Amino acid sequence: MKFSYNWLQSFFKEKLPKPEKLADILTMHSFEVESVVKKGNDFILDIDILPNRSQDCFSYQGLAREVGALLNKKPKKLEQEKLLVEKGGLEPVKIEVRSSSIIPRYTAILIEGIKIKKSPDWLKNNLEAVGIRSINNIVDLTNWIMLETGQPLHAFDYDKIFGKKMVVRMARAGERVITLDEKTHKLDDGAIIIEDQERLIDLAGIMGGKVSEVTNETKSIILQAANFDRRSIYITAKKLNQKTQASDIYSQGVDPNLTKPALERAYFLLNKLGGGKIRQVVDIYPKKIKSRKIKINIGYFSSLLGREIPVKRITDILESLEFKVKQIKSDLIVEIPTFRADINLGEDLVEEVGRVYGYEAIKPFFPVSSLIPPKRNINLFWENKAKDALKEAGFNEVYNYSFFGDKEAESFGYNPQELIEIKNPANIEQKYLRATLIPNLLKNVQKNQDLNFKEISIFELGKIFIKKGLAEKRMLSGLVSTIQNKKNEGFYEVKGVVETLLNKLGVADVWYDEFKATPEDTKNTIWNRKKCAEIKSSQEEIGFLGEITQTIRKKLEVPENVFVFDLDFEKLSKLASEEQEYRPISQYPSAIRDLAILVPQNVKVDDVLNIMEQAGGKLVIDIDLFDMYEGENLPDGKKNLAFHIIYQAEDRTLKSNEINKLHQKIVKALEKNPEWEVRC
Amino acid sequence: MLKIDLKKLKIEAQKSLKSAKNLKDLDGVFRSYFGKKGEITQAFNLIKDMSKEVRAKFGKDLNNLKRFIEKSIEGKKAIFTKVVPGKEWLDVTAPGKKLSLGHLHPLTVTIRKAIEIFQEMGFTVVEGPEIENEFYNFDALNVPPDHPARDLWDTFWLKDGKMLLRTHTSPVQIHYMEKNNPPLRIIAPGRVFRYEATDASHDVQFYHLEGLMVGKTISVANFIAIIQEFFSRFFGKEVKVRLRPSYFPFVEPGFEVDMSCLTCGGLGCSVCKKTGWLEIMGAGMVHPNVYNACAINSKEWQGFAFGIGLDRLAMMKYKINDIRLFYSGDLRFLEQF
Repeated sequence: MKFSYNWLQSFFKEKLPKPEKLADILTMHSFEVESVVKKGNDFILDIDILPNRSQDCFSYQGLAREVGALLNKKPKKLEQEKLLVEKGGLEPVKIEVRSSSIIPRYTAILIEGIKIKKSPDWLKNNLEAVGIRSINNIVDLTNWIMLETGQPLHAFDYDKIFGKKMVVRMARAGERVITLDEKTHKLDDGAIIIEDQERLIDLAGIMGGKVSEVTNETKSIILQAANFDRRSIYITAKKLNQKTQASDIYSQGVDPNLTKPALERAYFLLNKLGGGKIRQVVDIYPKKIKSRKIKINIGYFSSLLGREIPVKRITDILESLEFKVKQIKSDLIVEIPTFRADINLGEDLVEEVGRVYGYEAIKPFFPVSSLIPPKRNINLFWENKAKDALKEAGFNEVYNYSFFGDKEAESFGYNPQELIEIKNPANIEQKYLRATLIPNLLKNVQKNQDLNFKEISIFELGKIFIKKGLAEKRMLSGLVSTIQNKKNEGFYEVKGVVETLLNKLGVADVWYDEFKATPEDTKNTIWNRKKCAEIKSSQEEIGFLGEITQTIRKKLEVPENVFVFDLDFEKLSKLASEEQEYRPISQYPSAIRDLAILVPQNVKVDDVLNIMEQAGGKLVIDIDLFDMYEGENLPDGKKNLAFHIIYQAEDRTLKSNEINKLHQKIVKALEKNPEWEVRC
Repeated sequence: MLKIDLKKLKIEAQKSLKSAKNLKDLDGVFRSYFGKKGEITQAFNLIKDMSKEVRAKFGKDLNNLKRFIEKSIEGKKAIFTKVVPGKEWLDVTAPGKKLSLGHLHPLTVTIRKAIEIFQEMGFTVVEGPEIENEFYNFDALNVPPDHPARDLWDTFWLKDGKMLLRTHTSPVQIHYMEKNNPPLRIIAPGRVFRYEATDASHDVQFYHLEGLMVGKTISVANFIAIIQEFFSRFFGKEVKVRLRPSYFPFVEPGFEVDMSCLTCGGLGCSVCKKTGWLEIMGAGMVHPNVYNACAINSKEWQGFAFGIGLDRLAMMKYKINDIRLFYSGDLRFLEQF
């Protein structure tokens, strides 16, 4: 809220500190001052009144009280005029309040014989200084009182009230009211309205009705200072998207004891603006709100703040804020004025004392507590391990948005019903919570290729969201995008990365199956069935790797040669293990023999390896596929596989004829299959 | 007795030295004369069997020959080892071979660093769900329904039902306090969401680190000490913090925490808008209603809670000028970390 420095100064006999200095004091003890701007011979302070203090500090009176407490200066009391009814004249208005829980207090005066005219300069200038347009003396007066006291006022044209009857009640759903800005609002039953004998004349607490507006012809007014339920005003203003300064103030709650002093102040000022005769005073206030008392142990102030503050100082601070304090032994009994509805607990009092005293006076010291070692977070441990492994493999980590849009959903074969939709998405590309990490990774490829990155290896470890049960789970997905892809290199590169990763995580019994089953969490339609493997540990599926289909690639404008892996990280971290055992290094030398074999294209390397391992027995300690070739110089439909076979014994040096024998055994075992031809 | 013609030996030596093309050949020549079974070595072995008169002359000639061959080898070696530009010369100023290294995301690096510091001070790392209900995100944190305070958190809502995307990691506090009794010392880093217009300093998602310490005597002074230590370690220099009053429904008293400017150290510069301070996070002493929501006796326990924006921390540490870079997947950005 913008405050005029001069207006604030008018509350004090002594000079206030300079505007900049005052701004600093307020910032450190009360509210942040966003800016101080010179305007003519005044300064405008833009003060960010905290939401819990808007009830008392959305006004000059409240801010003056606050400033007074900080500077130890007493602000002046506002001059008021008693509301005395002068008999005769106009017919009184019958005012009826239907719900006292929603309208705790309704105070109004009928004033006869006012003259609508331009406001005098002091009124006009002060309002305009804080950005409020001057309209006429009466409207300006209501705004002035709202700024000065924090109590919103409203003036009705008496002559426009039909039947001289006003009913303040909850709206019925479907009722309509036209406000001063000529908007028609269709109401539901949460709104508060005022009705005369025939029609709605006010959208209470938010904006006046057009039909009862004060105009240049107005001669008499009903000046209302009402108290409304903050929830009702808040919800209605929000629903109707009709926010005003009055509705903002009401939304935070207003002290019901403020209505009468505000009208008394208004009447005092009205007499300077042309005056008028009070013909009627209405004050419907069935349940008077009284001040509360809070008991607090004196020691609690220093215990919570961590700084000893003398009890005299505590009492002085609380009293400067207009609290009444009584000490009974080691307790303080503090009476809270009703304009401070934000003060309900001892902790609230500690804050008042702490901030006025100054937090900068609190000297830091470390807590004294028992040594309880922090618990290990195993989730985080495996996340770190996996991320490090991928980083070591040359991958870049990305963080993508947790959302995707219709385009991604459709390309990946998701039906909108299967996805968690956001009610108020930031944009259409973020309409759903992501059900897979892959689409956003593919977008990363597209973007980076436009930036001239040719080889892209990226991964993300993040949450995906599952409609059923609104579940979340961590996935670890990544991809390799290369310009060239000879012999499906990309596939084997990704597979190599996955193998290394699983090895680092200590996941045991990993094997790769051809695409068969319907994967539970990955849409099977995304994988090119011919170039995709299901990753398993024992019998459990832990993820997939392979190429995504051309259809998706085209839809998302992703170039060729993108190989993806998609791992269920929740499963991985359950299977992961830190157990590791050293395998003694044999003291005896190993020997390497090569073997090349020509097999039909559809033969799996795994099957060839199995035969070799079985035939070789335990003296074959490793078999390494170093070349896989199909194409020129080979018979149609065949491929050539070349292996290093490593022979080694733990207890002796293998003799060359022993190795030769074993090697021949392997060759024979392979050649049992008539279509397989060992070439060397 | 074996006779050795030293003259012949000399001629042969000259020949083989001439035909040596490189250091390896030269080494072969050396070994053929001075190795265990080298010619010169063998010739010396013969001396002991010679008669006195022969021995003197032969010894002298042999030593001369030995010196001659050694000198010749040295001479040749100098030729071979001389650097000839264009032949075996290499340009040490040319750049080294580029390795394609992987990189962790700057937020991963930031989160790890923050976790490390808090763990060293005895905080346990806990996590929670990103989809929350109103109870955990608001009610239990003393943000009542239909209260303007809720407008402080612009919230993404799920389409069907009353679930939302957490707007802070504070709900993790509640989950944790429901299951654990004080004393407590936890941090909860994680992804949070806000429904707001994006710009260089705002995005619809970012990372929060919530902290909570509860004990019998935990005070504001303790909070300042812990958080000052954290920032000093995180930024690797002495950092001061100051508290200003603020309002968050789940704490009382509530603070805005400022940190002395990293650029000017508090003297005032353009980064801190001449104030010497940077606004860095919100904090406060846990509100009794929050304890009550978790069935913890607020008369018995007290403590502090705070929430740091990790993206902002990373931006300050690395001087990143746009929060959206974190979620851009742009390799020009990611490869710098």
